[in-house]
Amino acid sequence: MVIIQTLLIALLTLAARCHTMLGTSLINRPIVLGALTGLIVGDLQQGIIMGGTLELAFVGAVSIGAYIPPDMVSGTILGTAFAIAAGQGPETALALSYPIAAAYQAVSTLGTPISLWLMHKCDRYAEIGDVKKFERGYWLTGFIPKLIFVPIVPLAYYFGSDAVTAVLNQMPAFIQTGINISGGLIPALGFAMLAQMIMNKKVVVFFFLGFFTVKYLGIGTTGVAIFAVILAVILVQIEQRFNTSGSVQVQAGGELDEF
Amino acid sequence: MNSKIVTDIVSQDQNAVVTKDDLKKVFVRSIPMEFTWNYERQMHLGYCYALLPVLKKLYKGQELADAMTRHMEFYNTTPFIITFPLGISAAQEEKCVLDPAHVDKTSVSTVKTAMMGPIAGIGDSFFWGTLRILATGVGASLALQGNILGPLLFLLIYNVPHFVMRYMGTFLGYNLGTSFLSKLEASGSMQLLTYGASIIGLMVAGSMTAEMVYMTLNIPVGVGETATDLQTILDGILPGIMPLAVFGIVYWLLKKGVKPLPLTFILMGVGILGAALGFLM
Repeated sequence: MVIIQTLLIALLTLAARCHTMLGTSLINRPIVLGALTGLIVGDLQQGIIMGGTLELAFVGAVSIGAYIPPDMVSGTILGTAFAIAAGQGPETALALSYPIAAAYQAVSTLGTPISLWLMHKCDRYAEIGDVKKFERGYWLTGFIPKLIFVPIVPLAYYFGSDAVTAVLNQMPAFIQTGINISGGLIPALGFAMLAQMIMNKKVVVFFFLGFFTVKYLGIGTTGVAIFAVILAVILVQIEQRFNTSGSVQVQAGGELDEF
Repeated sequence: MNSKIVTDIVSQDQNAVVTKDDLKKVFVRSIPMEFTWNYERQMHLGYCYALLPVLKKLYKGQELADAMTRHMEFYNTTPFIITFPLGISAAQEEKCVLDPAHVDKTSVSTVKTAMMGPIAGIGDSFFWGTLRILATGVGASLALQGNILGPLLFLLIYNVPHFVMRYMGTFLGYNLGTSFLSKLEASGSMQLLTYGASIIGLMVAGSMTAEMVYMTLNIPVGVGETATDLQTILDGILPGIMPLAVFGIVYWLLKKGVKPLPLTFILMGVGILGAALGFLM
């Protein structure tokens, strides 16, 4: 049973690592991996809840620019699997996932030289115009650096589950409570990272509009999202009206006709 | 602008060789764009691989080798609409062959490089900041209740618009050639798009902060009949004042340059300290 679970976790890890092959389609996000891990280790319901919790904690973890986020794939799969095995809740999954994600991030940088070496072989195939070899080199450059690291997560699951359960059972109560409390705080980090990306003076008010709509009117995020789309359309139309009446002269200048 | 511009080739030189099927192949081969992402030249391999069907049709022998090498230079932009510069490159490469006297091959590189910034500017904020947050907002609130629709809707809300735009980008890029972005920039539409997208992104981020960030103080105030606690008083003044304060502090620390990972451990420490000393619950 554990062997089958370990193999399925290996497959899930491989699929998550290859999310870029499938159009960077976010199948590596905690909300997806949590549910699938739950399914593998036998508690889909808990897996979905843990995935949702971790998704919020990792919501800021996207690699934009130079920022390399902690490895949420290993964090989610192992955090969820260990927490379910130990009979604990989503907060435990959260507490386990961060150290795992940070540690894995450090290990995975070792893969960089391999991918660079493979990539330079493709340079040579391009220079001689050999399409077949180039395409083969392309797929190898994609797969090999991911494949060599796949065993880490399933092996950690196979050998670590009992140890982690034992440690969790020994833990003093205030640490458990404290981790539960921090489960409510950590999402703030994700939202702050996100807001930092899009916030400026002109639009900062919309953050507060969303916040207090929920607090005072009690409609959930889905409701706010619907109103946000409607509001954005209306405001863009108003803005557009101002813009076109203001920029008629610029267009009459004929700069656009050059194209 | 009719709708054919995003689904088919609109008008073409009668000597043209690039077909609708070629562009469809470019779309399909653009899907693993980031599969070979690396620190040195980032998306260069993916770009060359995706454009190969067009290059193979236009060039043979040494010319093909030159064209492949030309597209092996550094590239990086939002992967979800990478088909737009790919479409433009396809149109330009074709022009190089049809009209070699007037089109310079170096312009292919210049144009695609010049577009990295603007495309990433709109693309990153729309896809990462708006569409993903919309998907997370809807998906996570269902997932927290243990509903399987959570992860499913998350993937659908993100990927249906993503793949539609990825497909249309191929044809839009090819049909409009190089003039499109400069037109968009001059008309101010680009700022409008960013403006609308950031409204949605911030409102959803605000509502998620309200729903999913929580902190409850456990500090009694007064004694006997009038005994109450600080949290009740604060909630009476402004509901959600504590989560908003947590958000504000974290936002400020990020701005001060504190890295996200240490911040996570700090927040965990605050929770454990609060539980140990009993001022949080």
